[in-house]
Amino acid sequence: MNFKKITPVFVLLLAGIFSYGQHEVANITDPRLLIKLPDVKGDSISLASLKGKVVLLDFWASWCLPCRAANKKLVKLYGKYKTQGFEIFSVSVDDERRDWIKAIEKDKITWLQVNDPRNWGAQSALNWGISVLPTTFLINKKGDVVAIDPAEKGLESSIKNLLQE
Amino acid sequence: MKKVWLMTAIVFVVASSHAQFTKATLQATGLTCAMCSNAINKALQKVSFIESVRSDIKNSAFNIVFKEGEDIKIEELRKAVEDAGFSVGSLKLTGNFHELKIDNDTHVEIGKEVFHFLNVSEQVLNGEQTISVVDKNFVSAKQFKKFRSASKMSCVASGKAGSCCKKEGIAGDARVYHVTI
Repeated sequence: MNFKKITPVFVLLLAGIFSYGQHEVANITDPRLLIKLPDVKGDSISLASLKGKVVLLDFWASWCLPCRAANKKLVKLYGKYKTQGFEIFSVSVDDERRDWIKAIEKDKITWLQVNDPRNWGAQSALNWGISVLPTTFLINKKGDVVAIDPAEKGLESSIKNLLQE
Repeated sequence: MKKVWLMTAIVFVVASSHAQFTKATLQATGLTCAMCSNAINKALQKVSFIESVRSDIKNSAFNIVFKEGEDIKIEELRKAVEDAGFSVGSLKLTGNFHELKIDNDTHVEIGKEVFHFLNVSEQVLNGEQTISVVDKNFVSAKQFKKFRSASKMSCVASGKAGSCCKKEGIAGDARVYHVTI
């Protein structure tokens, strides 16, 4: 085999491995991804403070019907795993605070809820590159994002596995 | 004695009719929740003659403000929405009008585009007015069918001036927008 022919491929392959190795994993402690917003009571809650737990970060809005449908399923999931170190951190981009609070009550949400008004202009949604609601991120105990929009089907088993890590 | 001549300049104001679109309200439709996607918002913001876009969640609409003095190309609005993966459900254009005579099944030029009014009575538009585009791909298929049957002129179905408005000095291949109030 001609060595000259192989070399460029080999170099490319090495470069590929090298860049893959350098590939950055989004982590909730990254200042660019900082989310520190008020909950219903007005107390400021930061996403980074949840490091050590398995977290589902969820961007939603009361007017987003697919989000509301997802909430129903999350209620069950949260009830099952909240005592084992699982937390949900929901960021609503609702412009109308009242609508947000009403939706929390109606959907019987007991997990962490913060509000970042201005709909699509919400800074946290821009920082996290959200282009559709709902968008969820599954985060491991180290604070690394391990999945974006995990499918409902495998979500529960993923949570179970991450809780054992 | 000094004679003072008072010169009176009489300014003739040409009472020409004109109109300029300033803003629009656009509703998008699709298989998924249109307001839940930021794609439409982003696509509209990239349109050259658009100044700003604001989502009106309560009315599931995008409130668009046009740049002053720019030509509004209606097709570009539709293209932006469709490129984002949705379609236009309704488009209302608001503008400032001055002595613009309109009548049913007649054509008028607003900006650089030709408009064909449907389902209207003879009237003169003045001040701020809003018109709705009822062309194919700007309303639901069902609504379009209703408007198409409201006129016998072929341009309603094709969107092109064709043979139906040559008399009015409009090129046959010119895009004609069908609107109502």
